[in-house]
Amino acid sequence: MARTVILKIKRQDNPAAQPHWEEFELTWKPGMNVISSMMEIAANPVTRERKPTTSIAYDSNCLEEVCGSCAMLINGRARMACSALVDKLEQPITLEPFTKFPVIRDLQVDRSVLFENLKRVKAWVPVDGTYDLGSGPRVSPNEQEHAYPLSRCISCCCCMEACPQFNEKTGFVGAATIAQVRLFNQHPTGKALKHERLQALMGDGGIQECGYAQNCVEVCPKDIPLTTAIADTGREVIKQAFKDFFRS
Amino acid sequence: MAGLASPVARGVPPLRAGQGHSFFWRRLHSLSGIVPVGVFLLEHFISNAFATNGPHAYADQVKFLTGLPFLIFLEVFGIYLPLLYHSLYGFYIWFRGDSNLSSYPLHGNFMYSAQRWTGGIAFLYMGWHTYTMRFSGIHLITNSQAAFHKVQVELQNPWALAFYVIGIITASWHFAYGLYLFCSKWGITVSDRSRKGMLAFSTLVAIAFIAVGFATVAAFFNPQWRNTPEKLPSSPPAIESGTPGGQR
Repeated sequence: MARTVILKIKRQDNPAAQPHWEEFELTWKPGMNVISSMMEIAANPVTRERKPTTSIAYDSNCLEEVCGSCAMLINGRARMACSALVDKLEQPITLEPFTKFPVIRDLQVDRSVLFENLKRVKAWVPVDGTYDLGSGPRVSPNEQEHAYPLSRCISCCCCMEACPQFNEKTGFVGAATIAQVRLFNQHPTGKALKHERLQALMGDGGIQECGYAQNCVEVCPKDIPLTTAIADTGREVIKQAFKDFFRS
Repeated sequence: MAGLASPVARGVPPLRAGQGHSFFWRRLHSLSGIVPVGVFLLEHFISNAFATNGPHAYADQVKFLTGLPFLIFLEVFGIYLPLLYHSLYGFYIWFRGDSNLSSYPLHGNFMYSAQRWTGGIAFLYMGWHTYTMRFSGIHLITNSQAAFHKVQVELQNPWALAFYVIGIITASWHFAYGLYLFCSKWGITVSDRSRKGMLAFSTLVAIAFIAVGFATVAAFFNPQWRNTPEKLPSSPPAIESGTPGGQR
């Protein structure tokens, strides 16, 4: 008999439905990853018991760990499905949607909280595009070295899912947003909004909710130095708080 | 897609920029763990270590402390209120976090959980310890020379002894890792390298506190000072009869 791969998938028909588990068995192929397995299941949705079922729903796009879409719990841990190689995973492989984000269907979740958080800290470079401003200020290679790792964030939300402080009670903003504050505060033009970003992070659910469990930096698929970014931003937020209190 | 029209209707709420005072209270909690609570812990371990120099040295140190001016204000504003705030707000922090050590059995995550458990256990210990030592039995503020006797009698109970050992370990652990967390959160140790160094330093602090604590407990079982009476003989050498030159 041919070698097979067993996947256990947590299914949920709609945001209000009760979740249930289904098992699938695929013929092993060299170089399989979780995404390719899910593609196969979606194309031919038959469970291990040979029962036809609905096609599984999941987000994916780039298939090379740069778009951030296919983040899910794989064997209980937040990671990207596209870079999860089947041969390196313990079987049966369990696939679950993120637990801290509202489920849309099956493995698809609504991660708009991150987009909302990025808006609230003004994670952009304020440039008025109505006329030619000429070239921007130069960024030294040293600064580039610091900025580049932070700019790799793919908004997958793994750091938030794995964080014990990110939940409905705290409403913690999460590591990704704090790292983006660090990135845009360093940018020569982005600096213009530095104090606004730091003040935003003092609001409820801000940087103070970080408990330094450091799971974020462990699960980040892009190896972003999140704990360093949080410590650095924590320092800037405190400085801003003292400035606000004593100087203005 | 109607349900998705408003971006974050369900799940973890986004950052409340500009709202609330949790930043102040959370940072105050962090600071209070170092000053004055941590400083008091250091003083308490040093003062009690005088027991290793015998009942007279111990009584002298108790006399010095209880003879401080404005004692009641020092106690209330230097110890009770900060300690109570740090403890109660600490429980509030604990209950708002969702520990996920089983899914992410990582070092930082373990320390995150341990910081909560050590704090909770140390709080229970301190409640009992304060009651027995400060608010019941021989009143040490007016009768400082009975200090060695009082602690010695209490430690004869094996349960009390065990609780002291647990109290020493949890308080030392909580304080030492608290130093590491303080330096991370306030942006003193930003780089991975500095944080690694701080972790090593914190470990040494924990070991030193535990060692001093155990040496102090052991002093009350030193045969030299067995059955120390409530009223110490006026001249120090008398209590050490039979061990000429035993002390210093």
